[in-house]
Amino acid sequence: MEAFDKLSGEILHLVQEFSSASVFGDLTVGLTQYSFWLLVAAVVFCLVMVLFVRRASLVPHGVFVNGVEYLIDYVTNDVAKGVIGTEWRRHFPFLLTLFFFIFINNVIGLIPGMKPGTGAIGCTAALAICSFIYFVWRGCQKHGFFGYWKSLAPAGVMFPMNVFVWVIELFSLILRPITLAIRLFCNMFAGHIVMGSFAIMASLFAEPLFEQLSALNAAMALPSIAWLAILLIIYVVEMIVAFVQAYVFTILTAVYIQIAEADEH
Amino acid sequence: MGVIGYGLGVIGAALAIGLAAFGATSAMARQPEIQGRAFTVFILASAFAEALGLIGFVVTLIS
Repeated sequence: MEAFDKLSGEILHLVQEFSSASVFGDLTVGLTQYSFWLLVAAVVFCLVMVLFVRRASLVPHGVFVNGVEYLIDYVTNDVAKGVIGTEWRRHFPFLLTLFFFIFINNVIGLIPGMKPGTGAIGCTAALAICSFIYFVWRGCQKHGFFGYWKSLAPAGVMFPMNVFVWVIELFSLILRPITLAIRLFCNMFAGHIVMGSFAIMASLFAEPLFEQLSALNAAMALPSIAWLAILLIIYVVEMIVAFVQAYVFTILTAVYIQIAEADEH
Repeated sequence: MGVIGYGLGVIGAALAIGLAAFGATSAMARQPEIQGRAFTVFILASAFAEALGLIGFVVTLIS
Protein backbone atom coordinates (compact mmCIF):
# COMPACT_ATOMS: atom_id res chain seq x y z
CA MET A 1 0.00 0.00 0.00
CA GLU A 2 1.79 3.11 -1.17
CA ALA A 3 -0.78 5.30 0.62
CA PHE A 4 0.46 4.05 3.99
CA ASP A 5 4.08 4.69 2.98
CA LYS A 6 3.35 8.33 2.27
CA LEU A 7 1.24 8.72 5.43
CA SER A 8 4.01 9.13 8.01
CA GLY A 9 5.73 11.84 5.98
CA GLU A 10 2.48 13.72 5.48
CA ILE A 11 1.64 13.52 9.19
CA LEU A 12 5.09 14.84 10.13
CA HIS A 13 4.45 17.70 7.74
CA LEU A 14 1.05 18.29 9.38
CA VAL A 15 2.57 18.38 12.87
CA GLN A 16 5.18 20.87 11.68
CA GLU A 17 2.42 23.09 10.36
CA PHE A 18 1.01 23.34 13.84
CA SER A 19 4.13 24.89 15.38
CA SER A 20 4.07 28.67 15.57
CA ALA A 21 5.20 30.42 12.40
CA SER A 22 5.22 34.17 12.01
CA VAL A 23 2.68 35.82 9.75
CA PHE A 24 3.83 39.43 10.15
CA GLY A 25 7.28 40.35 11.48
CA ASP A 26 9.32 37.64 13.22
CA LEU A 27 8.83 35.44 16.27
CA THR A 28 10.07 38.06 18.78
CA VAL A 29 8.06 41.03 17.48
CA GLY A 30 5.13 40.18 15.27
CA LEU A 31 2.17 37.89 14.88
CA THR A 32 2.19 34.12 14.64
CA GLN A 33 -0.78 32.42 13.00
CA TYR A 34 -2.13 31.63 16.47
CA SER A 35 -1.93 35.19 17.76
CA PHE A 36 -3.47 36.42 14.49
CA TRP A 37 -6.54 34.21 14.96
CA LEU A 38 -6.52 35.15 18.65
CA LEU A 39 -6.92 38.80 17.65
CA VAL A 40 -9.65 37.83 15.17
CA ALA A 41 -11.44 35.96 17.96
CA ALA A 42 -11.15 38.99 20.24
CA VAL A 43 -12.70 41.20 17.56
CA VAL A 44 -15.48 38.65 16.98
CA PHE A 45 -16.04 38.50 20.74
CA CYS A 46 -16.43 42.30 20.93
CA LEU A 47 -18.77 42.32 17.91
CA VAL A 48 -20.93 39.52 19.33
CA MET A 49 -21.26 41.28 22.67
CA VAL A 50 -22.00 44.72 21.16
CA LEU A 51 -24.60 43.23 18.80
CA PHE A 52 -26.12 41.24 21.64
CA VAL A 53 -26.42 44.24 23.96
CA ARG A 54 -28.01 46.29 21.16
CA ARG A 55 -30.55 43.64 20.27
CA ALA A 56 -31.28 42.26 23.72
CA SER A 57 -34.80 42.90 24.91
CA LEU A 58 -37.14 41.58 27.56
CA VAL A 59 -38.51 39.01 25.12
CA PRO A 60 -35.58 37.70 23.03
CA HIS A 61 -36.11 37.34 19.28
CA GLY A 62 -34.10 35.36 16.78
CA VAL A 63 -31.49 32.61 16.91
CA PHE A 64 -28.53 34.88 17.72
CA VAL A 65 -29.96 36.63 20.77
CA ASN A 66 -31.52 33.43 22.08
CA GLY A 67 -28.29 31.50 21.60
CA VAL A 68 -26.12 34.00 23.42
CA GLU A 69 -28.70 34.29 26.16
CA TYR A 70 -28.76 30.52 26.56
CA LEU A 71 -24.98 30.42 27.03
CA ILE A 72 -25.08 33.29 29.53
CA ASP A 73 -27.88 31.55 31.40
CA TYR A 74 -25.89 28.33 31.44
CA VAL A 75 -22.83 30.03 32.95
CA THR A 76 -25.01 31.87 35.45
CA ASN A 77 -26.92 28.86 36.72
CA ASP A 78 -24.47 26.00 36.34
CA VAL A 79 -21.14 27.64 37.00
CA ALA A 80 -21.64 30.80 39.02
CA LYS A 81 -24.69 29.97 41.13
CA GLY A 82 -24.05 26.25 41.25
CA VAL A 83 -20.42 26.35 42.40
CA ILE A 84 -19.83 29.71 44.09
CA GLY A 85 -23.23 30.13 45.73
CA THR A 86 -24.63 33.36 47.12
CA GLU A 87 -21.58 35.49 46.28
CA TRP A 88 -21.74 34.60 42.58
CA ARG A 89 -22.49 38.10 41.33
CA ARG A 90 -19.02 39.46 42.15
CA HIS A 91 -17.22 36.82 40.11
CA PHE A 92 -19.73 36.58 37.30
CA PRO A 93 -18.09 39.10 34.89
CA PHE A 94 -14.72 37.36 35.08
CA LEU A 95 -16.18 33.89 34.59
CA LEU A 96 -18.37 34.94 31.68
CA THR A 97 -15.49 36.71 29.91
CA LEU A 98 -13.31 33.64 30.34
CA PHE A 99 -16.01 31.32 29.04
CA PHE A 100 -16.88 33.36 25.96
CA PHE A 101 -13.27 34.11 25.08
CA ILE A 102 -12.24 30.45 25.14
CA PHE A 103 -15.45 29.31 23.44
CA ILE A 104 -15.14 31.77 20.54
CA ASN A 105 -11.46 30.90 20.12
CA ASN A 106 -12.24 27.18 19.98
CA VAL A 107 -15.10 27.65 17.53
CA ILE A 108 -12.98 29.83 15.24
CA GLY A 109 -10.37 27.08 15.17
CA LEU A 110 -12.98 24.62 13.87
CA ILE A 111 -13.50 26.51 10.62
CA PRO A 112 -11.19 24.91 8.03
CA GLY A 113 -8.17 27.07 7.27
CA MET A 114 -8.30 28.86 10.59
CA LYS A 115 -6.33 28.06 13.72
CA PRO A 116 -7.66 28.19 17.27
CA GLY A 117 -6.01 30.88 19.36
CA THR A 118 -6.12 28.42 22.26
CA GLY A 119 -4.10 25.87 20.27
CA ALA A 120 -0.84 27.46 21.41
CA ILE A 121 0.51 26.77 24.89
CA GLY A 122 1.40 30.46 25.36
CA CYS A 123 -2.21 31.57 25.08
CA THR A 124 -3.62 28.93 27.43
CA ALA A 125 -0.81 29.59 29.91
CA ALA A 126 -1.69 33.29 29.90
CA LEU A 127 -5.35 32.48 30.52
CA ALA A 128 -4.46 30.07 33.32
CA ILE A 129 -2.16 32.65 34.96
CA CYS A 130 -5.00 35.21 34.77
CA SER A 131 -7.32 32.87 36.62
CA PHE A 132 -4.55 31.95 39.10
CA ILE A 133 -3.88 35.60 39.93
CA TYR A 134 -7.62 36.24 40.15
CA PHE A 135 -8.38 33.55 42.70
CA VAL A 136 -5.28 34.20 44.80
CA TRP A 137 -6.14 37.92 44.79
CA ARG A 138 -9.74 37.22 45.84
CA GLY A 139 -8.51 34.92 48.58
CA CYS A 140 -6.11 37.60 49.81
CA GLN A 141 -8.96 40.12 49.81
CA LYS A 142 -11.15 37.83 51.84
CA HIS A 143 -8.67 36.56 54.43
CA GLY A 144 -5.88 39.15 54.26
CA PHE A 145 -2.49 38.39 52.68
CA PHE A 146 -1.02 36.27 55.47
CA GLY A 147 -4.41 34.91 56.39
CA TYR A 148 -4.84 33.46 52.92
CA TRP A 149 -1.49 31.70 52.86
CA LYS A 150 -2.16 30.42 56.36
CA SER A 151 -5.63 29.21 55.38
CA LEU A 152 -4.12 26.80 52.86
CA ALA A 153 -3.65 24.35 55.70
CA PRO A 154 -6.89 23.42 57.51
CA ALA A 155 -7.30 24.83 61.01
CA GLY A 156 -7.27 22.44 63.93
CA VAL A 157 -4.52 20.12 62.74
CA MET A 158 -1.69 19.32 65.14
CA PHE A 159 1.60 21.21 64.73
CA PRO A 160 3.93 18.89 62.77
CA MET A 161 1.18 17.60 60.46
CA ASN A 162 0.12 21.20 59.90
CA VAL A 163 3.33 22.11 58.07
CA PHE A 164 3.21 18.91 56.06
CA VAL A 165 -0.36 19.55 54.86
CA TRP A 166 0.52 23.18 54.08
CA VAL A 167 3.37 22.13 51.80
CA ILE A 168 1.13 19.65 49.97
CA GLU A 169 -1.60 22.27 49.55
CA LEU A 170 0.93 24.79 48.26
CA PHE A 171 2.11 22.23 45.73
CA SER A 172 -1.44 21.58 44.52
CA LEU A 173 -2.02 25.35 44.33
CA ILE A 174 0.97 25.73 42.01
CA LEU A 175 -0.16 22.74 39.93
CA ARG A 176 -3.60 24.27 39.28
CA PRO A 177 -2.66 26.82 36.59
CA ILE A 178 -0.30 24.32 34.96
CA THR A 179 -3.01 21.68 34.60
CA LEU A 180 -5.53 24.28 33.41
CA ALA A 181 -3.16 25.42 30.66
CA ILE A 182 -2.06 21.96 29.55
CA ARG A 183 -5.60 20.54 29.48
CA LEU A 184 -6.94 23.23 27.15
CA PHE A 185 -3.85 23.25 24.93
CA CYS A 186 -3.71 19.46 24.54
CA ASN A 187 -7.39 19.19 23.70
CA MET A 188 -7.23 21.81 20.96
CA PHE A 189 -3.88 20.65 19.57
CA ALA A 190 -4.63 16.92 19.58
CA GLY A 191 -8.14 17.36 18.20
CA HIS A 192 -6.87 19.29 15.21
CA ILE A 193 -4.03 16.83 14.59
CA VAL A 194 -6.48 13.93 14.56
CA MET A 195 -8.86 15.73 12.21
CA GLY A 196 -5.95 16.62 9.93
CA SER A 197 -4.66 13.02 9.91
CA PHE A 198 -8.02 11.63 8.77
CA ALA A 199 -8.33 14.31 6.10
CA ILE A 200 -4.85 13.37 4.85
CA MET A 201 -5.73 9.68 4.83
CA ALA A 202 -8.93 10.33 2.88
CA SER A 203 -7.06 12.31 0.24
CA LEU A 204 -4.10 9.87 0.04
CA PHE A 205 -6.33 6.87 -0.65
CA ALA A 206 -8.39 8.71 -3.26
CA GLU A 207 -5.33 10.20 -5.00
CA PRO A 208 -4.70 7.40 -7.58
CA LEU A 209 -8.36 7.53 -8.64
CA PHE A 210 -8.10 11.17 -9.66
CA GLU A 211 -4.90 10.55 -11.60
CA GLN A 212 -6.18 7.55 -13.53
CA LEU A 213 -9.74 6.25 -13.62
CA SER A 214 -9.70 2.46 -13.35
CA ALA A 215 -11.50 -0.29 -11.43
CA LEU A 216 -8.44 -1.11 -9.33
CA ASN A 217 -7.95 2.50 -8.30
CA ALA A 218 -11.64 2.83 -7.49
CA ALA A 219 -11.43 -0.23 -5.24
CA MET A 220 -8.33 1.23 -3.57
CA ALA A 221 -10.20 4.48 -2.96
CA LEU A 222 -13.07 2.79 -1.11
CA PRO A 223 -11.51 3.14 2.37
CA SER A 224 -11.45 6.89 1.95
CA ILE A 225 -15.26 6.90 2.31
CA ALA A 226 -14.77 5.38 5.74
CA TRP A 227 -12.04 7.93 6.57
CA LEU A 228 -14.38 10.75 5.53
CA ALA A 229 -17.14 9.33 7.75
CA ILE A 230 -14.72 9.13 10.70
CA LEU A 231 -13.57 12.68 9.93
CA LEU A 232 -17.16 13.92 10.10
CA ILE A 233 -17.75 12.13 13.40
CA ILE A 234 -14.55 13.58 14.85
CA TYR A 235 -15.60 17.01 13.62
CA VAL A 236 -18.86 16.73 15.56
CA VAL A 237 -16.95 15.52 18.62
CA GLU A 238 -14.63 18.52 18.27
CA MET A 239 -17.65 20.84 18.27
CA ILE A 240 -18.70 19.32 21.59
CA VAL A 241 -15.11 19.53 22.86
CA ALA A 242 -14.97 23.24 21.97
CA PHE A 243 -17.89 23.84 24.32
CA VAL A 244 -16.87 21.35 27.00
CA GLN A 245 -13.32 22.67 27.30
CA ALA A 246 -14.53 26.26 27.70
CA TYR A 247 -17.00 24.97 30.29
CA VAL A 248 -14.39 22.91 32.14
CA PHE A 249 -11.95 25.83 32.27
CA THR A 250 -14.64 28.14 33.63
CA ILE A 251 -16.04 25.70 36.17
CA LEU A 252 -12.56 24.84 37.48
CA THR A 253 -11.80 28.54 37.90
CA ALA A 254 -15.09 28.87 39.79
CA VAL A 255 -14.20 25.91 42.01
CA TYR A 256 -10.78 27.42 42.78
CA ILE A 257 -12.36 30.79 43.59
CA GLN A 258 -14.82 29.04 45.88
CA ILE A 259 -11.98 27.19 47.64
CA ALA A 260 -9.97 30.40 48.01
CA GLU A 261 -12.92 32.26 49.52
CA ALA A 262 -14.18 29.46 51.74
CA ASP A 263 -14.27 30.40 55.41
CA GLU A 264 -12.96 27.20 56.95
CA HIS A 265 -11.21 24.34 55.25
CA MET B 1 7.98 3.22 19.59
CA GLY B 2 6.35 6.46 20.60
CA VAL B 3 3.08 5.35 19.05
CA ILE B 4 3.13 2.08 20.99
CA GLY B 5 3.80 4.03 24.16
CA TYR B 6 0.82 6.23 23.46
CA GLY B 7 -1.34 3.18 22.84
CA LEU B 8 -0.31 1.73 26.20
CA GLY B 9 -0.88 5.00 28.00
CA VAL B 10 -4.31 5.56 26.57
CA ILE B 11 -5.58 2.30 28.12
CA GLY B 12 -5.76 4.07 31.46
CA ALA B 13 -7.70 7.02 30.09
CA ALA B 14 -10.08 4.70 28.24
CA LEU B 15 -10.76 2.71 31.42
CA ALA B 16 -11.34 5.94 33.33
CA ILE B 17 -13.88 7.27 30.84
CA GLY B 18 -15.60 3.88 30.75
CA LEU B 19 -15.87 3.84 34.53
CA ALA B 20 -17.24 7.39 34.52
CA ALA B 21 -19.87 6.44 31.93
CA PHE B 22 -20.75 3.33 33.91
CA GLY B 23 -21.26 5.35 37.07
CA ALA B 24 -23.26 8.02 35.30
CA THR B 25 -25.60 5.57 33.56
CA SER B 26 -26.26 3.50 36.66
CA ALA B 27 -26.89 6.67 38.68
CA MET B 28 -29.33 7.88 36.01
CA ALA B 29 -31.08 4.50 35.97
CA ARG B 30 -31.53 4.51 39.73
CA GLN B 31 -32.61 8.12 39.95
CA PRO B 32 -33.86 9.56 36.64
CA GLU B 33 -34.47 13.00 38.16
CA ILE B 34 -30.73 13.47 38.73
CA GLN B 35 -30.05 13.12 34.98
CA GLY B 36 -28.95 16.72 34.30
CA ARG B 37 -26.51 16.96 37.18
CA ALA B 38 -25.14 13.47 36.65
CA PHE B 39 -24.44 14.32 33.03
CA THR B 40 -22.54 17.48 34.04
CA VAL B 41 -20.44 15.51 36.50
CA PHE B 42 -19.82 12.82 33.88
CA ILE B 43 -18.65 15.40 31.33
CA LEU B 44 -16.33 16.97 33.89
CA ALA B 45 -14.85 13.64 34.96
CA SER B 46 -14.30 12.45 31.43
CA ALA B 47 -12.69 15.78 30.53
CA PHE B 48 -10.17 15.19 33.32
CA ALA B 49 -9.45 11.65 32.22
CA GLU B 50 -9.32 12.58 28.56
CA ALA B 51 -6.79 15.31 29.24
CA LEU B 52 -4.35 12.69 30.55
CA GLY B 53 -4.67 10.65 27.39
CA LEU B 54 -4.21 13.75 25.27
CA ILE B 55 -1.07 14.77 27.16
CA GLY B 56 0.40 11.42 26.11
CA PHE B 57 -0.64 12.04 22.51
CA VAL B 58 0.88 15.51 22.36
CA VAL B 59 4.11 14.46 24.05
CA THR B 60 4.41 11.60 21.54
CA LEU B 61 4.03 14.02 18.64
CA ILE B 62 6.24 16.83 19.95
CA SER B 63 9.24 14.88 21.24
